[in-house]
Amino acid sequence: QMCIRDRYQRRVHGDQGFVIKMAGSGYDYDVSTLSPEGKIYQVEYAMKATENSSTILGMVCKDGVLLGTEKLIVSEMMVSGSDRRVYSVTKQIGMVITGLLPDGRCLIDRAKEESASFQKQYGIPITGKVLADRIAQFMHMNTIYLWARPYGCNIIIASLDEGTGPALHLIDPSGQCFGYFGCAAGKGRQIARNEIEKLGSKNLTCKECAFHLAKILHKCHEEMKEKKFELEMSWICPESGMVHQMLPKDIQKELEARAQETLEKEAMADVQSQIMKNINICLLYTSD
Amino acid sequence: RPPRSTPKPSSAASDVYKRQVHGDYLIDMESIDWSQPIRDGTTIMAVVYDGGVMLGADSRTTGGALIYNRVSDKIEPIHKRIFCLRSGASAHTQKIAQLCRLYIGQLGSELEETPPVYSAAKIIQSFIYNYKSFLSAAMICAGWDPIKGPQIYTIPLGGTLVRENIATGGSGSAYMSGFCDTHYKAGMTRKECRDFMIQSISLAMFRDSSSGGIIRLLDITKDGVSREYISHDQLPLKQNNYSQSCLLYTSDAADEGLGVDLGGR
Repeated sequence: QMCIRDRYQRRVHGDQGFVIKMAGSGYDYDVSTLSPEGKIYQVEYAMKATENSSTILGMVCKDGVLLGTEKLIVSEMMVSGSDRRVYSVTKQIGMVITGLLPDGRCLIDRAKEESASFQKQYGIPITGKVLADRIAQFMHMNTIYLWARPYGCNIIIASLDEGTGPALHLIDPSGQCFGYFGCAAGKGRQIARNEIEKLGSKNLTCKECAFHLAKILHKCHEEMKEKKFELEMSWICPESGMVHQMLPKDIQKELEARAQETLEKEAMADVQSQIMKNINICLLYTSD
Repeated sequence: RPPRSTPKPSSAASDVYKRQVHGDYLIDMESIDWSQPIRDGTTIMAVVYDGGVMLGADSRTTGGALIYNRVSDKIEPIHKRIFCLRSGASAHTQKIAQLCRLYIGQLGSELEETPPVYSAAKIIQSFIYNYKSFLSAAMICAGWDPIKGPQIYTIPLGGTLVRENIATGGSGSAYMSGFCDTHYKAGMTRKECRDFMIQSISLAMFRDSSSGGIIRLLDITKDGVSREYISHDQLPLKQNNYSQSCLLYTSDAADEGLGVDLGGR
């Protein structure tokens, strides 16, 4: 007298299937099933795939928009720059991906196709909002059908339009797409979000913000200090000729060096203030 | 077929349809050549002035020698601030305008703001260019958008797309090119532009047999769109006013000798 779900569990997982109850407990075998609590577990698992991946972040500034990501160096023998995460979709739109990278690269191809067909039909370059909407719809399509799985990646689309100015959109595996002034995804997203909020990048120029971007990315990486990593940053601003461009290597090196210095100084300042606090406490007890 | 000199009335019921009473004349429907496609022979014109763009057109739609519609509207809406003027085969141009309206409507909802005039012109161009061997359509697309302001794009028969500040089209445009070249100036006021357009379209309607009727004008600015028409009795060159025709005798002596009332001279 077993229901289909239990029979499936026994077939796939054997006797263990009834002993080990996973979080989804039977409602997570495909993306077209809703659980009794109203969740789609496959989409949540896709979001988990992005939670532990490289940090990506973006900031809207007074005169442009910035994108950045930290990449863990997987192998010493890899050619630097071949594991690309930041791509140009059109002249004035850039995208950065995190999570399952092959999924992300497929989405970037799709974005390029959408932009090209929009330009062909309407004669104007696609705007960031329209592209983000279309990519979000495309990602959402994979969360409704039985024969597909969701894309396991978060993307940030940065754009600079004539009409609306600089814009950022963050899309997650469920197909949700929102516009932001500053956003982050990946492992260090909490730290990054706090820092971006404190910064208030809307009042700074891109040049000033680029330093802060490097600093935040270095900060997000602090937990894994032992692993080597690389930064990939890009901007769309007057310094880049109003075109989406990777940060020039010399500028990036200089910014990173300054960022590391500043972080070390801040860390020292933190330690010193801790010591001072402790000293004060000791003095309190020995004053008599 | 050449028309008969005297129409032959028939009393049979089935032949009644062949008779049409039109004013003082009895038209024999059989003698009319129905095989000509319905065309907007036309005079169409658009001018950018200081603050907006004004579109003007005559109102005659012909099919061979028959005027199908003497008060037709050749100004088609595409979007709130984008309009197009049609010339060429009516069926072709109406269809192209309808499809353009559909695509620009979709673009407007996607962008959630006024779509650019350039996109409307591009869509019209893509139809005229890709189907040029099947179509006979020349259109002018004009409008206002927040980024580039008032714009006019002409798309003639072959499918080129040209942006201009003054555009004329249709069979009647040839008759007013001299006048337009002489009297157009950039940055006119609305009144100057209106007078200029009424005068030039009148001149074209006066000479071109495929243009006539009334002048329809449409004014597009940032704040709105307004329509008007100039009826036949208000035209500067009245089409039945022989006194303005250069075929007239020009000497007073000859007039008195004739003793004919030429109306208004």
